[in-house]
Amino acid sequence: MLNYIWAGLIIAALAFAIVSDLRDAGNDRFRNDASLPIVLEYPEGYQDEARRVPVHIRIDAETYRSFYSVATTPDSVYAGHVVRTQAGTRLFFAGDASLPEPLPRIREFSGGDALQGTLDQENVSSTPAGAPVTATAVRFEPVRFPHLQDIAGAAFDFANTAVQIAIGLIGVLALFLGLLKIAEAGGLIRQMSRIVEPLLRPLFPGIPEGHPAFAMIVLNLSANVLGLGNAATPLGIKAMEELQTLNPVKDTATNPMVMLLAMNTASVQLVPPALLVAVIGLQVNELIFPIIAVTGASLIVAIGTTWFLERVPLWKRSDPNADPGDSTETGEATQ
Amino acid sequence: MSWFRIFIDYFAIFVLPLMIVGLPLYGLIRGVKVYEEFVEGAKEGFRVAVMIIPYLVAILFAIGMFRASGAMDFLVETLEPVLGALGFPPEMLPMAIIRPLTGSGSAAVVAEMVAVFGEDSILVKMAGVMFGSTETTFYIIAVYFGAVNVKKTRHAVPAGLTADIFAMIFAVYLVQWLFGSA
Repeated sequence: MLNYIWAGLIIAALAFAIVSDLRDAGNDRFRNDASLPIVLEYPEGYQDEARRVPVHIRIDAETYRSFYSVATTPDSVYAGHVVRTQAGTRLFFAGDASLPEPLPRIREFSGGDALQGTLDQENVSSTPAGAPVTATAVRFEPVRFPHLQDIAGAAFDFANTAVQIAIGLIGVLALFLGLLKIAEAGGLIRQMSRIVEPLLRPLFPGIPEGHPAFAMIVLNLSANVLGLGNAATPLGIKAMEELQTLNPVKDTATNPMVMLLAMNTASVQLVPPALLVAVIGLQVNELIFPIIAVTGASLIVAIGTTWFLERVPLWKRSDPNADPGDSTETGEATQ
Repeated sequence: MSWFRIFIDYFAIFVLPLMIVGLPLYGLIRGVKVYEEFVEGAKEGFRVAVMIIPYLVAILFAIGMFRASGAMDFLVETLEPVLGALGFPPEMLPMAIIRPLTGSGSAAVVAEMVAVFGEDSILVKMAGVMFGSTETTFYIIAVYFGAVNVKKTRHAVPAGLTADIFAMIFAVYLVQWLFGSA
């Protein structure tokens, strides 16, 4: 199952990226190779010999809207500078300029911090008021297949993020696995297991009597209920490790493992997650009751669904603890 | 409800310090060589974290690509009319799609909805309940199964997603019922 969803995400990403890019290209969204009319002012005077000249860039709102067929309005003036090179005159917008759509996107793809483009001829006309001005036009770098480049970039970024998350877990994992080792050595885990076993037995029929997995499952689920994300993950991993000791086929999930996972994804939440409190603030108090109700109901759905699915022939066959006669089938069926 | 909230809040504050201090203390009383045992257990932390890496990379980069492709907008466009007919507010669709995929991504969606609709809007309440009631199923699968090197997840994905979908639908109707219709 996960094989298909995983491949599906990647293939869908490629398909959607190409469709979006073709749509943008069809609408000529970025006006590749066309020049946007602008007016430049030279606050420090016009010097045609100087390599770098500061300018004020004025874009007429109407012109801009019809040029890009958008509803956004540019600021009345942008700071920037002109650089003259052998290859031609380049116009740079200031790096911190807040640009209207779709210019930020073009900036992203011209690969610098600042939006830049090639300037048409500067036909300077002095105004009586002071600074010389020129009416000209600028051609930005063409943007081709931006989504396609985005998905490749995202793949690299998220691969990095994944490693950072895993590395970030080392400390908490070490702390809790250390504490749990003490609890194990003192016999606390076995005692707890005996106490909670009658409660969990119906949900985890495969676990032998008095096995420490019971205690770990209860600790994991309790940490979840209290919104202690930091503690819940190491405890859940420890519970999985305990369940793995009972697993005859090490690369395949057993029924109790899937049950624990489902109960985790649908865990009752008495305390709203810290991330949610950070985002919506005090309003969260009103939501505590609905969250408890929804999580309570979805926990029942999760348990019921898991109970049902482990009896579906496809997944019954792939059960590592199935009867020897049934367990010969692996490969496709176990996905 | 408030006394309950206060009680739970205090309990949540106390439980971690009590656990972190209580377990070594308990061990000491039971005659466990606490320092030696702790170090022995903590050794596992690094190994487990490293073990998770391939699973997390696989899941997260696929999700990242999917998000960056603009597929979300396309799905929202196509599903909007269907959902509207069922009384499911189409504004909730991005949240519903992204929630099982990434936690930080869905928090960003809620933050955006707060900015657009305001804290008091019923849509933000729905999004908040959705966020609080469901988990990033794919992340949990990667971490929990990755830690024990389980590759064949069997019915874990359908079971987790069924619970998520149910929770999201129930969140929408419950909030509508509690706080008035959208």
